[in-house]
Order: sequence, then C-alpha cells, then structure tokens
Amino acid sequence: MAGYIIRRLLWLPVTLLAVSFLTFSIARFGPGDPVTVAAGQIRDQEVLAQIRAERGLDGSIFEQYGRWVNRAVRGDFGESFQQRGYTVREIIFPKMWVSAQLGLVALFIVFGLGIPLGLLAAWLHGTWLDPFIISVLLFLRALPVIVVIPPLIWLFAVRTDILPVGGWDGVFDIWWIGGVIAVPIPDPHLYIPLVALTLPGFAGVARLVRVTALEVYTEDYVRTARAKGIPESRVATRHVLPNSLLPIVTVVGFALVGIVEGAFFTETLLGIPGIGRLTFEAVGSRDYDVILATTVIVAFLFVVMNLVVEIVYSWIDPRVRLGGSAVV
Amino acid sequence: MGGNNRILAILLGVLAGLVLIVGGLSAVLLLSGGGDDADSASNGGSSGGDGSSTAATSGRLRLGGSDPITLDPALAGDAGSATYIVEIFSGLMTLDEDLEIVPDLAESFDVSADAKTYTFKLRGNAFFHNGRQVEASDVKCSMERAASRQLGSSTAAAYLNDIVGAREMLAGTAREISGIEVVDDRTVRITIDEPKPYFLAKLTYPTAFVIDCQQAESNPRNWTRQPNGTGPYKLREWRLGERIVLEANTRYHLGAPQVQQVVYELAGGSLLTRFENDELDVAGVSVNDIDRVRDQNNPLNDLYVTTPEFSIAYIAFGTTTPPFDDVNVRRAFGLAIDRKRIAEVTFSGMLMPATGVLQPQLPGYTPDDKTLQYDPEAAKRALAASKYAGNMPAITLTEIGGGAEGSVDTQAFIEQWKNVLGVDVQIRQSDAATFFADVDAGRLQMFSSGWIMDYPDPENILDLKFHSRSSLNDIEYANPQLDGLLERARVEGDPTARIKLYQDAEKLILGDAAILPLYFSQNHVVVNQAVQGWIEPPMIIPRLRYVSLER
Repeated sequence: MAGYIIRRLLWLPVTLLAVSFLTFSIARFGPGDPVTVAAGQIRDQEVLAQIRAERGLDGSIFEQYGRWVNRAVRGDFGESFQQRGYTVREIIFPKMWVSAQLGLVALFIVFGLGIPLGLLAAWLHGTWLDPFIISVLLFLRALPVIVVIPPLIWLFAVRTDILPVGGWDGVFDIWWIGGVIAVPIPDPHLYIPLVALTLPGFAGVARLVRVTALEVYTEDYVRTARAKGIPESRVATRHVLPNSLLPIVTVVGFALVGIVEGAFFTETLLGIPGIGRLTFEAVGSRDYDVILATTVIVAFLFVVMNLVVEIVYSWIDPRVRLGGSAVV
Repeated sequence: MGGNNRILAILLGVLAGLVLIVGGLSAVLLLSGGGDDADSASNGGSSGGDGSSTAATSGRLRLGGSDPITLDPALAGDAGSATYIVEIFSGLMTLDEDLEIVPDLAESFDVSADAKTYTFKLRGNAFFHNGRQVEASDVKCSMERAASRQLGSSTAAAYLNDIVGAREMLAGTAREISGIEVVDDRTVRITIDEPKPYFLAKLTYPTAFVIDCQQAESNPRNWTRQPNGTGPYKLREWRLGERIVLEANTRYHLGAPQVQQVVYELAGGSLLTRFENDELDVAGVSVNDIDRVRDQNNPLNDLYVTTPEFSIAYIAFGTTTPPFDDVNVRRAFGLAIDRKRIAEVTFSGMLMPATGVLQPQLPGYTPDDKTLQYDPEAAKRALAASKYAGNMPAITLTEIGGGAEGSVDTQAFIEQWKNVLGVDVQIRQSDAATFFADVDAGRLQMFSSGWIMDYPDPENILDLKFHSRSSLNDIEYANPQLDGLLERARVEGDPTARIKLYQDAEKLILGDAAILPLYFSQNHVVVNQAVQGWIEPPMIIPRLRYVSLER
C-alpha cells in the first residue's frame, strides 16, 4: 500500500504542471491583460509596455511560464495586479478560509441531515412516505441560491430586522457567561447563506444514501441476519448503515475540495468575502497569478483528496485492495 | 403499493415543499406582525430610540465601498483608489467643496511673471501621521519617486510631465527632477516647461501627493498597509474584501475632522438594503430602486440626494476606419438618435442628456445643447451626401458587457439607426479587458466609451482625448485646426480667453461629430438623517472632514 501511495504521489507534480500550463496558456492567449485593466482610463501605451516589462509580462509564453514555475515551487505565487503590494497568497488564503468555514458548516448540516433522511426513506420503502420525502427534497434541490436568497433577505433582514443583510463575521460569536464560561454561538451573518447553501444539498445526499441502503437491504448478509432473528433495528444500525455509507466517503471527499472553490452567487449576493467572488473578479480583470494560484490549489487538493478517499475506502472496506490490478 | 399511489405521494411531496416555503414565509410575517410600522420608523432615520444604541457614542460613519487597487498615491489611476487616498494623504494643493483649487500642505504660493515658476511656502503645522513635520524635501522626493522608472506608475507621465526634468526622470535618463528645487525646509520651487494655467489643478491629483519617502523606501512593497500620510484620516485597518477603517487625524493641518471613525464595508451585497436596515449611513441608488426612492410616500424619499458627476458617456468612432472616416456618416449617426427620450425611458432619467463635451460645473460649460439634435430628415441627407451612400460597409458597435444583446440604450440606438438611416449595426459585447485591448489597438469601428474627469479643467478632456498627438486619443481623431486651438489654450494666461478657446474647441469636436455625447452621469444616493455636511461632489475630492454625526 505504501508503494501505491508513493506511485500516486509521484504523479502529482505531473498533474499540477499540466493543469498550471493549460491555465497559464488559456489566460495569456485570451485578449487583454492585467496591466491594461489596472490602468483604467489613462492608458498610455508606452507607459503600459514599460510596466509589462517591469512585471515580467514580456517575453515568450514559455519564458514566462518558466519564471512562474520557478517561483511557485518555492511557494511564491506572485503578486496581484488588482491589489498592488499584496502577494497572491495573502489575497487568496484568507478568502479561501472564509469560504471553507462557511462551506464546512454547510457540509456538516447537509450530511448530518441528509444521511438520516436517506436511511429513513429506505427504511420506509414501500410506504408513501418514501417518495414523499424524496420529492420534498427534490423540490428544494430545484431552488437555486439566487432565488432563495432575495426573499430570505427581505424577510429576515428588511422586514423583520432579525438578521443582518450581509457581511461576514466568522462562524462563532463567543458569549461569556459571568465572564468565565465561554459559549460559542453561531454568528447571525451565517444563517441566510447557510439556508441557501444547504437546502439544495440534502436531496443529493439523501437520494444516494437511500439507493445504496435499498441495495444493501437486498444483500445476502442482511437476509442472513434477519433469518438469525436479529431485531430489525439492529439490522438497520449494524449491517445496513455502515455499508450504505461507503459511497458517501467519495462524495464527502470531493465536497471538501469544493468548499475551497467558494460559492459565487451566495458570496456576491450576501457580501461575503470568499474565494468564489474573488476568482470571478480575477478572471474579469485578467489577474493572471490569482487565477493560476486558485486553479492549482484546487487541482492539488483534488488529487490529494482522490488518494485520501481511496485509502479510506481500503481501510473501511476490506474488499478494496489498493494497488491491485483492478484499481489502478 | 400501486403506481398511482406512488405518483400521488410524489405530488404530495412537492405540495409539502410549497407549503413549507409559503408557510414559513407567512409564519415569520405573522410573528413580525407589529414590526411593520416599527420597521419603517427605524428606516434610515435611526434617530429613533433603537438605532442610537451603540453608534451614537462611537462617532462612526458607515459607508459602502470596494477594495482600492492601491493606496499608493503615485500608482493610483482609478476613482476607487482615489476615494481613500485623498482622505489619507494630501498634496500641495487641493480642491475645496466648491471645486476651487486651494492650498493644502502649501500655505501660500507665488507665481513668477512668466507663469512658469511656482514657489510654494509649506504650512508650519503640517505633520505626517507619525508626528514628523512635512518639509520641502518630502515634496521633491515624493514627486521624484512617482516619476521613477522602477515604480511603473501609469499616471505619472500624464500628471507630472509639465515639470522641467520630469520627462528625463520618467525616461530613466535623469536621477532627479531638475525643475523641483528645495529652497529651504519650508519652501519648494517648481518650474514648468511652459506657462500652463492648469498646472495647479494637476497638483490636486494623487500622483503629485506627498508621502513619507523613508517609509516607502524601507518597505517598498508593503508600506501602504500602514501609510504615514498627511491627510485628515489615518488608515487604521484594511481587511481585503471586508472593511477599511479610517481614524480621525486630530492634528490635521486644516482642522481636526469631526467624525472619529469611518468604516467602509467592502464585501458588496445590496447596499441600499443594508442602508434600509440601518447598517450603512450612505448608499447609492441603482436604476432598479430609483422609482421606489423617488416615490413621495417612501421614507427613503426624504433622504434622497442627486447631484451631477464629472463624467460623460459617449459613442466613439474610429475616425480613420470606414465608414466613420467620413464626417457625413458620423453626423448622420448623430442626427438619427433621440438621446433625450432614450435617457428618459431606459434610465428613468437617472442620467442627464449630454449638452456637449464639457459637463455642468466645469469651466466653459454652458447649459444650451450644442450636440446634434434628433432630426431624421437631416440625418438622411447627411448619409446621402457621404461617400458611403449606397455602399455602406458592415458596422459593428462594441461595448463592455456580458451578454449578446447589448445594453438597453444601445439597442434603442441601433433600432433608430435602422429605422432612420436603414443601416444595420451589429452589436458586440466583450469584457473590460478585451474591450480595452481592442480600443488601444485601434481595432474598433464604433464603441461605447466615456471619460471621468480627473481635475476640473477642460484641458483634462478636450486636450487629452482629442489632440491628435495625445496618447489617450483612442479615436485617432486628427484636426489641425483643433490642435491649434488646444495648443493656444494650454498657455493662454487670461482665464476668460482660455475658456473661450476651449469652448471653440468643443464646438469643433461636436461639429465634426468626432464622438456622439450621450449622457452626463449623476450621483444618486440616500443619506442618513444623522449625517450632517455630507457632500456629493462631481468628482473625487477629500470630503470626510466636512461630515459630522448627530446621534
């Protein structure tokens, strides 16, 4: 297994080089450049050419890419054009952190509620409640955040003044009881984005869990367990539940990568300083190094998470063997 | 369980989903029941008991904003960055609330008889935020830094090149600007190449501001994160994408500002909604909300302010590209559109139809309409007189945007060109980066453009955008007669005669239909009652020091 992991990790730099070179070329072959955008209405071509040279934007694309790789391997992702004097790392990591916090809380809720709902639906299979639950969830799934958020703002912020309209202030506020005991309570800025982000999420998880659970119910070992006279509740918790959760590992793994990509609409509508909006704006202003860094970081996490998922799989499911001819 | 029951269950599920949402909404509405009037009372006004809880004591003004590209005065070329820079830094001269050019760090100045040498006497009470006194050498080193090649400022060439020796410094052939002379600690003498009446106006732009050179040298990359400025406010905090907090500089040389703290929320979202929720003190009003805000019965109406802005939107022609190399075609296009009606209908009158190139409150502005008037017959005649009559090449109008359709007003123009002139104009939208690249390469036939004034002098638009040798003339317009007028205006000492020259230049540009002026922009904002002395000037000027809070 160690050999397998090492072999897979050896591919990581190759993947990252391919991803970064593609992104790099697509960005540079596109029309316009960051110097032009940053200059605004005073665009003296001579001056701009000079700034390009100063910022390393002259020379062939291979030269430029070489310079970028050379810096990137040392952890230097360059400097932003839209935020002069700030390194790309300084700009993207705080925003990724904001998006990740929000995304993580949303994931907890989605899986925390989605899994039991899916199991419940499977357990209720054959009754009207099964399709009922699933269709409620599907209905919610069909609600895009841009439709959900405005009425939530209107209702909870404008009309009733219970919640703030937008902004971000961390996940938890600390309430001090008697100045001694710290009680973390969710920050009020969190509720509207959470509702918007989680409502559509339940359906996917619940349906996946339901389908696998239904399959597991038809397995021989479940029949055997029932035949041995084990109570139904114990069959559900000991035999069905763990086996139904296997595919969820993959979903959780990739959902975890997704949270550092941010949520563009939610962040934009609610004024949350996350990575989704930043990436979108960076593309618009051709902020090359910001675009490149976010792409490479996400690609890196994706490859790593893929490996982690495989390892976790082989660990919780003895039938899966890493490095076996079937898996590679 | 039969198939029918299953379908029934699914329908029930969808119904339950609906009930969940509608029920949830109405439940909250019911719960909030009485909240209705309480809510409208606290709208914006916040003079009511509730709003004054924490905000009252802190003296904190809450504004919306966006991240500046830079806080380095020498690098800033955009209004967004300038908004903060003019509050944190200052220069020799500034613009007051009436847009008069007045001394700032300078206490007084003398102009030599040939109008080429300016001697500035610095104030004795001008200090940097860290307490160090501002000296003449700070003025010299700040401008030299701005013009240095390594810094790569995109504005220095435009703002400092009148000073003798600045071109050499910009080109990298000199190590100092010879025309800036430190006479003594409190006196600096600046010599310019020709007697240019607009030179003082240029000094009010951030490029010419004074910075703490030692700070910038010791930390060239990051000094603007805690800039040691000389302005009415100090930068206390800047969290990218979240907020900028300014703190009053109590030693400010023009008098300590009255508001202790100014917070700019940078994360966006709906600013007007946040204003209504009493989270912001000032918010812009967009075209989507304008009807609501103008409604007499809306509580926002009392708080609504609208003022002109030094900014013009126009349709630009590639004046060397067929068919717009023919003045008759350009005139025909101008005569065929009814800007006034379109401005009224598509923008709910939020924009003022342009009356020329020079905007209200600018020297030389006159309220009479000097643009081509909507006249379908004249338009047809002009087109018939052109060399492209009957063999019109394909025409594309390019504008910034994300769709394929074109903005509403552009669509209306295209409709009129088709109806009046029988000419089909294609529309192409591209993002800003692509658009600028195409404009700069002179690749466009016809494009939606505009200009925001950087200083209140006609030179800033007429000379910069229309002189044939100006690097910012992106329509390749060349008119020797106009060049002559503009060059005379540059050095005309008599203000009245000078303005007259610019008015003649404007007439020439409009008669030639080099551009088709469309609208002058206007500010539309709502301001909390508690905010006193808020001004909405037509351009970026330091304004926070006039504001006070009463809550």
